Amino acid sequence: MSFGGRVSVVLGLLVVVIGFAVWGVVGFLLPQPPTVDFTSAQTPTGAIDMTVQTVPAIGFGYQPVWVSYLVKNPQGQWIHSTVWKLPAHTRINVTIDQYDSGSPLRNQQWWRVQGTLGGQATYNGKPLSVYDSNTGNNGIGHTFTVPALNLSVPLVGVDGNATNTCGSAPCTTNFDHNTMKFSFMTPGAGTYSWQCFVPCGGGYLFGNGGPMTTLGYMGGFLDVVA
Amino acid sequence: MTLAAERETEVVYPDPTPPVLGGFQGLPARPGWFSQHLGTAAILAVGGYLLGHWIGNVMTSGYDNVAASGINAVPVTAGLLGGVLGWLLGIGALNYPLAKMAGMEPRPDYESTSWTRYFRYTADHKVVGMQYVIGVLGFLFTGGLLAMAIRTELLSPTSHLFGPGTYISIVSEHGTVMMMMATSVIVGPLGNWLVPLMIGARRTAFPRVEAFSFWIFTAGYLVILSALFYGGFPTGWTGYAPLQTQAPQGMMSYLVGFAVIGVGMMAAGFNLAVTIINYRAPGMTWSRIPIFVWSILATCALLTLATPTLVAAGLFGILDHTAQTAFYVTEHGGSSFLWQNLFWFFGHPEVYIMALPGFGIVAELLPVFTRKPLFAYKVAAAGMIGVALLSFFVWQHHLFQSGINPDMRPLFMLTTELISIPTGFIFLVGMGTLYKAKIRFEVPMLFCLAVFFNFLIGGVTGVFLSDVPVNVTVHGSFFVLAHFHYTIMGGLIFAFFGGLYYWLPKMTGKTMNKKLGKIHFWLMFIFFNLTFFPMFLIGLLGQPRRVFEYAHNLQALNDFASVSSFVLGASFLVFVANFVWSIFIKPTPSPANPWDSLGLEWQTPTPVPYYNFARIPVVLNDPYHYGEENPPAIADLGDGILVAAGASSPASVAEDPRPPAE
Repeated sequence: MSFGGRVSVVLGLLVVVIGFAVWGVVGFLLPQPPTVDFTSAQTPTGAIDMTVQTVPAIGFGYQPVWVSYLVKNPQGQWIHSTVWKLPAHTRINVTIDQYDSGSPLRNQQWWRVQGTLGGQATYNGKPLSVYDSNTGNNGIGHTFTVPALNLSVPLVGVDGNATNTCGSAPCTTNFDHNTMKFSFMTPGAGTYSWQCFVPCGGGYLFGNGGPMTTLGYMGGFLDVVA
Repeated sequence: MTLAAERETEVVYPDPTPPVLGGFQGLPARPGWFSQHLGTAAILAVGGYLLGHWIGNVMTSGYDNVAASGINAVPVTAGLLGGVLGWLLGIGALNYPLAKMAGMEPRPDYESTSWTRYFRYTADHKVVGMQYVIGVLGFLFTGGLLAMAIRTELLSPTSHLFGPGTYISIVSEHGTVMMMMATSVIVGPLGNWLVPLMIGARRTAFPRVEAFSFWIFTAGYLVILSALFYGGFPTGWTGYAPLQTQAPQGMMSYLVGFAVIGVGMMAAGFNLAVTIINYRAPGMTWSRIPIFVWSILATCALLTLATPTLVAAGLFGILDHTAQTAFYVTEHGGSSFLWQNLFWFFGHPEVYIMALPGFGIVAELLPVFTRKPLFAYKVAAAGMIGVALLSFFVWQHHLFQSGINPDMRPLFMLTTELISIPTGFIFLVGMGTLYKAKIRFEVPMLFCLAVFFNFLIGGVTGVFLSDVPVNVTVHGSFFVLAHFHYTIMGGLIFAFFGGLYYWLPKMTGKTMNKKLGKIHFWLMFIFFNLTFFPMFLIGLLGQPRRVFEYAHNLQALNDFASVSSFVLGASFLVFVANFVWSIFIKPTPSPANPWDSLGLEWQTPTPVPYYNFARIPVVLNDPYHYGEENPPAIADLGDGILVAAGASSPASVAEDPRPPAE
């Protein structure tokens, strides 16, 4: 083979290898849920209002039986995403409609509301700082926890005897649900991961697999920008 | 033909057997393009995967737990196993056993000089060795790219390129690919290529098993890589239960891939061990075999004895995911400790599977570049056997933090510290050989010297880590990560490159560019240390492994390590450029024996004939009589040709009796 031929073979192979590497990174490592941008959605007071819901089964996509979070974008549409862009040093008023059921938790750490403004949340309009998951039929279904902000709010589950439960997302308030409200301040710019800390991956041993470890379901990012 | 008869036979060239590619006797011959090769292997692998996946779905789609989780491990497992089977069928690895079962005879192997032999199933140990070179480099660079992704993510504690699940998947894939590569990185390419030549044999004991070990190794690589397409796995390379038990489908790629590669490791180890024991040339006594061969023998003993545990452990994990058994599920009567014990009963000997061949290369090269006999040859061999034996008695030090019986801790602390003694033998053999030597600082020698520097740091920190209080303090931190990178990359991979630069002129007949080789070495050595030494500090300051967020005060050290790692990664590109340029694009023929070595492998013509030696040599001495006033002859190659220090290389006078390559 001539010199030029050998160079061509090497360059051709190089292109193939780089192509495979780029395909692997772009196709399988980088994909994330779409980012929902709240930076231009400030109310006259400067705060941002967010509405979120948790559903027992997303009902669509490649894992329709998985539990998931959804968020309502500033245009009022429900988006299946857990990556939210927020402005820095801003008050965020969060409303979470919880459509999933709950269970008693062994770790009392996740019973507590912490890191919110005033150190409290409201549960169906009533102030809440600790929820004893061992009493009643509700239990705790999920938490909204941002470890870097020391922020964690338990999401009280729907009554275990409820019959009007939501089957697939997005759920409407006609279905049985609980509403949690709280506020927190965003820190400086950065990407802060958040996660549900209740093992809620149904079908997985100990509930820790599947949606618990998949971005877009029970965990995501607060993409805080200056 | 018996071994004794084979030794007495002189090979006549050209081989009168007409070349016919593969297939069975009695069936019509096929044209070359229609015979079995890499392309047919890929086609049948895809077909096997699809068929297995379909069967798996048919078997299991109606079960409740599949519906509840949205995850079904059975079709994935069946698909992967079907793919491996198709790959082996397609390449022709199963021709021989299938023919025998059908009462037919496969056609005999023949000598090929065509470049296409590198894409086929072949019984030539030198072709298998070169296939392994490309294979392990592919592994190494895949793992290296993933390492670059890890270090890119760790540039910032708060700005993220990947999600947390993706990050741990990348870490897991990097670790698994690298560890599987490392088990074969020297035994596969250099062991297979060199051992028969070094011991004066015409072939390995089981050439088909040898080729099988390579092709199943590549199948295992593809299986492990497939984890990324299934969402990865979150366990790191150690695959601990219960994390393993609750992991997504990517875990099946890990379990199947480990088991498949484990079969290949056993095959490779068994073949080379039998070859070394039974195929030595006359006069090649145990006190005369090259020290590299000793290291391969010790390694093969570990491969053969330790790897079955890994394969069994992987099969148990596969059954837990597919047949709903509970080997590793404590709540259902199993034990997650079972995995830890089985895994590390393989895993710690594996550390020495990786270390010993590196020691062998260094000990083999030092006398050549110092022109001195190897200091305390028998101590070096004893050290290698000692390390191999003791490596089976240390595995529980990985469980110090896992709740083992506290009374067992001192025992395993002691055995772990004991293993530093035979390791020290090998180190001192190197120092003794270097003492008052006039060193030739050629590229392979630079890599050997770097091994001593790096392994000293890795070894000393290993002694710290064997101590229970230190282990408990830094367990699971970057300190541990830095330690094992210093031993595996700083030891094994540096030795591998030293060996490649040393033997590639023999393997390819071409000379690597010395200047590019030195640039590669210095970049790799400096930036390896600048990458991994800061990680000791990062670990001592508390950063855990496998977590994509870390404390803000550690960003400067992490950034320093990341930038250094990018240059380290670039240093490998220098090697690739040198390799491609010097071997393929603008090849420069190599001298017959460029390093003036006394090793038997250098006393053959280049390229080495299919049967290595037209006449089996008679070995008269060990090959380390450098710098002596009246050196004895090392070997009698026949026709009055003696190998001795100072004599002109027989390779320059013995001509290849074969017809020239096409």
